[in-house]
Amino acid sequence: MDRYSRNALRQRGKHPSRKPENTPLATVAAVHGGQRIMAANPAARLEGVQVGQSLADARAFYPALAIRQADPAQDLKALDALSAACERYTPWVAIDPFGGGLGNGVDSGLSGAGLWLDITGCAHLFGGEEALLDDLLHRLTKAGYHARAGLAATAGAAWALARFAVHNQNPGVILPAGQNITAAIASLPMAGLRLDGDAVEGLERMGLRKIGDLYSVPRAPLSGRFGGSVLRRLDQALGALEETLSPRRPPPAFYSRLAFADPIGRREDIEAALARLLELLCADLEKSNQGARRLVLSLFRIDNTIVRVHAGTSRPNRDLAHLARLFQEELDKVDPGFGIDAVVLVATETNTLAARQIGLNGGVDDVTQENAAKLVDRLAGRLGPGNITRLQPIASHLPERASRETSASKALEDGDQDWKGPVRRPPRPLQLLTQPLPIDVMAPVPDGPPVLFRWRKRQHRVRAAEGPERITPEWWRIEGDNRDTRPLSNDVRDYYRVEDEEGKRFWLYREGLYRPDLPPTWYIYGFFA
Amino acid sequence: MSATVIQTPFRPDPGVLQDLRNQIQAIERHASPKSLGTGQDNGDQSAADAFAPVVVPQDAVSLGAPEIDAALPWNGFPTRGLHEVFGDAAAHGFSAALLARLAGTRGGSAPILWCQHGRDLCGQGLMAYGIDPNRVIIVHGKNDTDILWAMEEGLRSACLSAVIGQLYRVPPIAGRRLQLAAEENGTTGLLLRATPGKTQTQAPTAAALTRWRVLSAPSITPAQGLGLAQRGLGKPNWHLELQRCRLSAAEGKQLESAGRPQSWQVEWCDETGDLSVVPGLRDGSVQPQRLKAAG
Repeated sequence: MDRYSRNALRQRGKHPSRKPENTPLATVAAVHGGQRIMAANPAARLEGVQVGQSLADARAFYPALAIRQADPAQDLKALDALSAACERYTPWVAIDPFGGGLGNGVDSGLSGAGLWLDITGCAHLFGGEEALLDDLLHRLTKAGYHARAGLAATAGAAWALARFAVHNQNPGVILPAGQNITAAIASLPMAGLRLDGDAVEGLERMGLRKIGDLYSVPRAPLSGRFGGSVLRRLDQALGALEETLSPRRPPPAFYSRLAFADPIGRREDIEAALARLLELLCADLEKSNQGARRLVLSLFRIDNTIVRVHAGTSRPNRDLAHLARLFQEELDKVDPGFGIDAVVLVATETNTLAARQIGLNGGVDDVTQENAAKLVDRLAGRLGPGNITRLQPIASHLPERASRETSASKALEDGDQDWKGPVRRPPRPLQLLTQPLPIDVMAPVPDGPPVLFRWRKRQHRVRAAEGPERITPEWWRIEGDNRDTRPLSNDVRDYYRVEDEEGKRFWLYREGLYRPDLPPTWYIYGFFA
Repeated sequence: MSATVIQTPFRPDPGVLQDLRNQIQAIERHASPKSLGTGQDNGDQSAADAFAPVVVPQDAVSLGAPEIDAALPWNGFPTRGLHEVFGDAAAHGFSAALLARLAGTRGGSAPILWCQHGRDLCGQGLMAYGIDPNRVIIVHGKNDTDILWAMEEGLRSACLSAVIGQLYRVPPIAGRRLQLAAEENGTTGLLLRATPGKTQTQAPTAAALTRWRVLSAPSITPAQGLGLAQRGLGKPNWHLELQRCRLSAAEGKQLESAGRPQSWQVEWCDETGDLSVVPGLRDGSVQPQRLKAAG
């Protein structure tokens, strides 16, 4: 039977860890035309502030209550990040964003939000269920959350335990496997069944306050009056009805697995295993017209550690030889330890790759493009994707901003860019220094090109010059905003192409307009051939 | 009982495909106006022609200057093999001009692999040389080993129009490997070994088919006597020196004479992408115009 652990999280504003623990704080949102408390921290709750209260009521209890606007989108994001962190315990983590607001009538907002962790078969890795739960709660507390957890054999029971069976001294409740769920949740309030506010109220009016009260009630009238939801939730909590949770990370659609009777360790054996795995995987991919973009090979060593080897392609691909080659470089670094007893190959990202009609000329162009993509994969596999690049144009007059290097595999996907641009500019050098270098210059006319300049301890006498090409800074960009560029200054620049007596051609510029009191600074920026 | 439908993807037999292609090609040849009239006379001949390879790789590209083309045994710059370019910044220009001419060799869409240490390549600058930056894949290597490896992978992939590598030192064995890879796969490899200061210290690669030294030369400026800024720059002039030219083992049988070392003063035209030999300057009879100091 599955074991579920469930946390109910209480958020204390957007930055929980930065708020002093003892300052009453609540988040508010406009609900039905009034400001209502969406969440409150323990200090606020001690003062009598309750979730679902109107802000005016809460202020009546505690006038100095600090408030923040609730931001459900941000909360959901935080919850998503949290669930990603919880994948350290189990791959099967699901988000439960609308937890029902702790059964007090407010069913919007995230005050009752939580996470499901299906820890079936995972607890022993952390030294048992208790240790896992302690570790989980400890980490969440350290991250600034008030977390409570329930662990039971059914998702419904875990939900109820996490919300109604815990108290401050003991934030994690475990219902050991084999113990009677029926008895364990009988004394918990009706809201523990994940019912909406109306149903809870209706049941309470009939005198049914605890979950246990439902056990003896005839089922037919109950479903007649409240619909199927009450009985469904009860059955789910007791395990009489199956409940499925959708994990945050979908299980891989394409994977292949091999287990060995005896552990393997030799490089040739691993390669053979990889070849077999690829064969299985590619057959699957071919059936559904998919090609792999990203592959992860997990090698399970017998000392319970996993070695993961990644490979990526710039085009969807299911070519056995090519994919096997992508792993070669990485396999060199794999240490099999005492042996590997299982290998799993997962295609974590796939794209449609339909069988293509080859042109009558043998598809020379297509084959070229495809081979180029394969080449990029191989190069990126050894040198890193950031080192295989393609230039992309940017609409800017500034030479340092006019192009940018992007990863070639991404560029192949994006297709060709328009480099011509609307304006015909004076020529640009073939080599552009990553950073302009200051030079000593002798210029007889303040606004003219230099006649002599000194660079790298050599004097260059200018025999011909072309310019100036005046480029003013981009005033619409914020000063110092140079994330994607080479350093940017805010002065007007006059660029000159100059040729020295040997015929060497340089690209120089003068920064700033002429000022009598300040000699201009000159820079060398590139080389023409 | 229920029937199971097993999806088996269709895998064409490459031999059958090739046969079909050849048949279609034969039909097309018969239909072409040139062969219509003579189709009956030498039908055997055209049937034999049909089995020629579909894509005939060009053996050499012209550099635009008949004098230089004639000096090379291939009657142009060969599209296969390893070549070496020394010199100053002009070597970059010469290499770029070569690449632009080689870009069309493999169907026009084949990329160029540009392997280098630095990050100083300018897209707009490439455009000026007639190279489409979309076709340029840049490889940044940490050291020469990475660059040599990337170049060899590129040459062996046989899907590039050219591979260019900026290198400091090329071990003899690496040079031979590159030359073999370039020749077997019909790709051009360029070793760009331009260093502004110390051009002499680099040992050349014995395996390369040609070795060039390209140095900047003063351009022919449009008019004398104007101010510096009004005069403008002429077309770039280079002193181009073919230092070595050898034939590969396979070519030795077909072509009788290898090229002799020779040098030219060339001018590069950015509009046509052609090199042209500047006649008067070849033997040094006319000195380029000199600028009077501080004119």
